[in-house]
Amino acid sequence: MTANTVHDRLRLARATLTPTQVLSVLLAVAALGFVLVLFQDPTAHEAMHNFRHAAGVVCH
Amino acid sequence: MIAAYVANGVKSGLVAGLVFGLLVALVANPLVAFAEGGAQVEHAGEAGDHQHAGDHQHAGHSHAEGALPASLTDGVSVLSGVLWGVFLGVVAFGLAFYVLEPIVPGSGAVRSYAFGAAGFLTASVAPWLAFPPAPPGVERALDPNAAALLYVGLVAAGALASVSGMYAYDRIRERYGRPVAAAAGALPWALLVAVAVALVGVPSVAVPAGLPADLAHGLAGLVVFGQALTWLVMAGAHARFHARSGPNRNAGPTDSRLAEETPAGSP
Repeated sequence: MTANTVHDRLRLARATLTPTQVLSVLLAVAALGFVLVLFQDPTAHEAMHNFRHAAGVVCH
Repeated sequence: MIAAYVANGVKSGLVAGLVFGLLVALVANPLVAFAEGGAQVEHAGEAGDHQHAGDHQHAGHSHAEGALPASLTDGVSVLSGVLWGVFLGVVAFGLAFYVLEPIVPGSGAVRSYAFGAAGFLTASVAPWLAFPPAPPGVERALDPNAAALLYVGLVAAGALASVSGMYAYDRIRERYGRPVAAAAGALPWALLVAVAVALVGVPSVAVPAGLPADLAHGLAGLVVFGQALTWLVMAGAHARFHARSGPNRNAGPTDSRLAEETPAGSP
């Protein structure tokens, strides 16, 4: 048995990961992405303003 | 096995994030401050070179109250740059690469670079089709929520185009050879670009009043360069980490590890 197709990878992930693990990783990633890219609170927005310009992330 | 992939993603993202953070600290912070200063000075009717670096937070944005000192915003921006690299590293080279590695073109290090290029197209170029990098002082036509939604939608469209392109390449290469497969793999992206241009026109850099056009274009170029550099460094770092973590790197995971981690009785 090899894991050399996308289907195999997904099956392996389903076999070896618990829902809690999947959920915690997805939540952490979503939180990081939200704060960096979408968070619009004026103070946070202003503080990250140069970064968002430098990264070309949509801003104001 | 997936843990090793995520760890590699975090590590390569950290390397790329440190490089990008350095770019923010040394180039983007002073340049954005200068550009905002230029926009402000234009309102006051003075020349841009009299602007003090510390004044920039008062300019450029109607919603910026100037409550934070420049050193703090600079520091947060650098830190955000590092975290940006980590974020891209986890999502792209950690999670997405784990699933997609079998269909990413090439083998060994080439695979990492090909995937990095796809990541750059997906995360950066796709949203730029509708929101090209804007210098400070440009007000967007859309309200922030709609813009954010469209931004996320464009990244998703880019991901769809990248993945379907890789899938097409993988499927067609064996039967029709590499050139045909490469053309087919590029097709979804060509389609995405064509649709975006038809809907919103060719992306162009907006030049706000008070900013020289050269500076506005230079800033946009810096943004493109910065993201391309981030992805290039990330792919390079990932190629090294990935080669070191798995002896059977060309074929993906080794069978022995798989046997260890798959519970008995699972298909």
